[in-house]
Amino acid sequence: MRLILDVALNDLRILFKDRGIWINLVIIPIVIAVVVGYVNGAGNSGAPSSVALLIDVLDLDGSATSTQFLAAVRESNPNLVLCPVDQTEADICRLGEDQISPELIRQRLEDKVSLAFLEIPAGFGDSLNRGEDVTLIYRANENAVAPSYILQAVQSAVTRYGGVQAAAQVGMQTADQIAFLQFSDDADREAFANTIRENADAIWATNPVSVTRVDAVAGESSGGGGGGFAQSIPGIAAMYIMFAVLPVTPAFILERKNWTLQRLAMMPISRSQILGGKLLSRFVLGMIQYGILMGFGVFVLGVNFGSAPLALIAVTAAYIVCVTALALALTTVVTSNGQASGITLFLTLVLAPLGGAWWPLEVAPPLMQTIGHISPIAWFMDGHQQVIFYGGGFGAVVIPIAVLLAMAAVLFLIGVLRFRFTN
Amino acid sequence: MQSALVRVLELSKTFKRNGGETFFAVKDVSFDIQRGEIFSLLGPNGAGKTTTISMISGLLTPTKGDATIDGHSITKEPLVAKRLLGVVPQEIALYPALSARQNLEFFGKLYGLRGGGLKRAVDETLDLIDLKDRQKDKLEHFSGGMKRRVNIGVGLLHKPQLIYMDEPTVGIDPQNRRRILDTVLRLRDEMKMSVLYTSHLMEEVQEISNRVGIIDHGQLIAMGTVGELIQKVGEEDRLIFTLESDRVDENIIQRLKSEIPTITSAQFDPRASDNPDAASMSAGKLTVFATRGRKALPDIIRIANEAGLGIVSVEVREPDLEAVFLHLTGRALRD
Repeated sequence: MRLILDVALNDLRILFKDRGIWINLVIIPIVIAVVVGYVNGAGNSGAPSSVALLIDVLDLDGSATSTQFLAAVRESNPNLVLCPVDQTEADICRLGEDQISPELIRQRLEDKVSLAFLEIPAGFGDSLNRGEDVTLIYRANENAVAPSYILQAVQSAVTRYGGVQAAAQVGMQTADQIAFLQFSDDADREAFANTIRENADAIWATNPVSVTRVDAVAGESSGGGGGGFAQSIPGIAAMYIMFAVLPVTPAFILERKNWTLQRLAMMPISRSQILGGKLLSRFVLGMIQYGILMGFGVFVLGVNFGSAPLALIAVTAAYIVCVTALALALTTVVTSNGQASGITLFLTLVLAPLGGAWWPLEVAPPLMQTIGHISPIAWFMDGHQQVIFYGGGFGAVVIPIAVLLAMAAVLFLIGVLRFRFTN
Repeated sequence: MQSALVRVLELSKTFKRNGGETFFAVKDVSFDIQRGEIFSLLGPNGAGKTTTISMISGLLTPTKGDATIDGHSITKEPLVAKRLLGVVPQEIALYPALSARQNLEFFGKLYGLRGGGLKRAVDETLDLIDLKDRQKDKLEHFSGGMKRRVNIGVGLLHKPQLIYMDEPTVGIDPQNRRRILDTVLRLRDEMKMSVLYTSHLMEEVQEISNRVGIIDHGQLIAMGTVGELIQKVGEEDRLIFTLESDRVDENIIQRLKSEIPTITSAQFDPRASDNPDAASMSAGKLTVFATRGRKALPDIIRIANEAGLGIVSVEVREPDLEAVFLHLTGRALRD
């Protein structure tokens, strides 16, 4: 391991001896990420760093129970903005002077202003308190970026809130029938109800509240402009990681030409250690590139990249391993520096847009979305969107990581079997 | 009697040409290198010297045969064997963006040197290659000769038992060449290292080597001390006549041999000679081997004049390795 580190550190030292590297690592990618971020909608809402998933709510009940229910929905995903309840002076709901109405809601869905609509019927609270079933109306733009996550949030709130309500209702009814069970005051009674609620969470099996989902108007993407930087920063990071890692291919060719690679092969260090060290240096460079752009996003632009940084780092590590393996495989098919430079530039500029580095893959036609997943960038972006836009954790990036590592395994196998230390 | 440090046994290496045809770059090469001796492989470019060395140093896997360094097989225990070996490739295999010291430190670590031991080894090596005052300069600012000295220094860092040097004087000025040859002699005489030296330059091989192996077309065609090899061509002098003519009739060569009994062989090379003045006249080169060559000189000049061959210059060479190679292969080393 020590020899691998020696080789890797030496390569990094050589790379950073060239001060021009900082232009490629810092200045250019940041400028591009900012430009692409604005193109993707950052700044439209006046709050470029926030990721606002707009849901229109028509609360026909207007009771304390419906208010509590909406709070539970909001808690289930902090990116949800319930309009007009969460309207701000900056007009986060993009309502302007309009008042929410069924017609306006339909129009906003069609215009891709809101992602979904939730209707709470009149009598919602009373029905629940009486133990009767109630029905909520959920309408979503099925082509929107995140409808399933909004529905998930609503269902989560419904389950939790419905369960708690039912348990409290049953428990208090039972308590009232037991003659020797007396409450000293209302606080004592409420404490008892709370205990029931807590226990009910674990044993609740049947949800008394059902949701009728109505997939409505088809459209393209939605969600306003708040997520521009949240999309562009990881997207441009993915592209520039390729720019940082793939040049290991011409570097190998140059080392062969200069005979430093052959000299290493004649020293008391195994060939796998030499390759490991050289690829490790590029892995580290890729992580540095990622750290620079994400750090700029967080500390300068104030972008919220979700609450699972370890999941983001894990999917990034898998992505860089995959790109490193791609570079090794390329080394076995190109024979000159010119070829290597040309093919790495070509691959980066094809795989980046194909994989959704420049714009969300969701805006592409379904066929292109499928084809786009040939690119490792698509899986990298999938993992990031799960965490950044939909509040996912480590579990949400397992599949992207698995796919990226599988790609890496195939490419490494090709690279290792075909790699030659001599011309 | 000293035991051999290196044993090379029937090493062979085949490659495929573009057409798929297999050819031997090295075929059944065997030799030993004793401890504390300079063993040189002499041969023209493309003879198989570097391929042989590349197999001994573990860069190429032999198609057949094996080599051992202090008893450790280069194919079965490559890492152990390579630890005993210092490598000085023909190319300047260094990182130009790093300083001389940084290059030495990096390669020293790969030889297992650390901490104070590494610092000491680097300092001693910088002293040996006489570059201590330039140790912090980037290699890209060095002259060719200075780079070659660092190139050699890397191979010496860990004080190996055997150092292999592949054409270490290629492309450098006479002053640096002299310095490198002196360093090679010091390695043997003061540091008691064995040196495996390859070159196509007869003069330097003849000067520094204890023993020489002559390699041509991938095969070792002769081996021994310089004296032993020269004996193969006897006491013949080599008389080289640069002629104005680019043709010499075979009858004239036969006449030379019949009229001057001390001549053992004569060859005419119609290509331009090394002499730039002569080359401008499209001259050829007549090489005559003769015992007591100087005594035969007047008769040869007379016959040449009678035949109308304009003689531009005459050179008389004592027997040397160049003559041995010519004698064995019919070609000059630089051909």
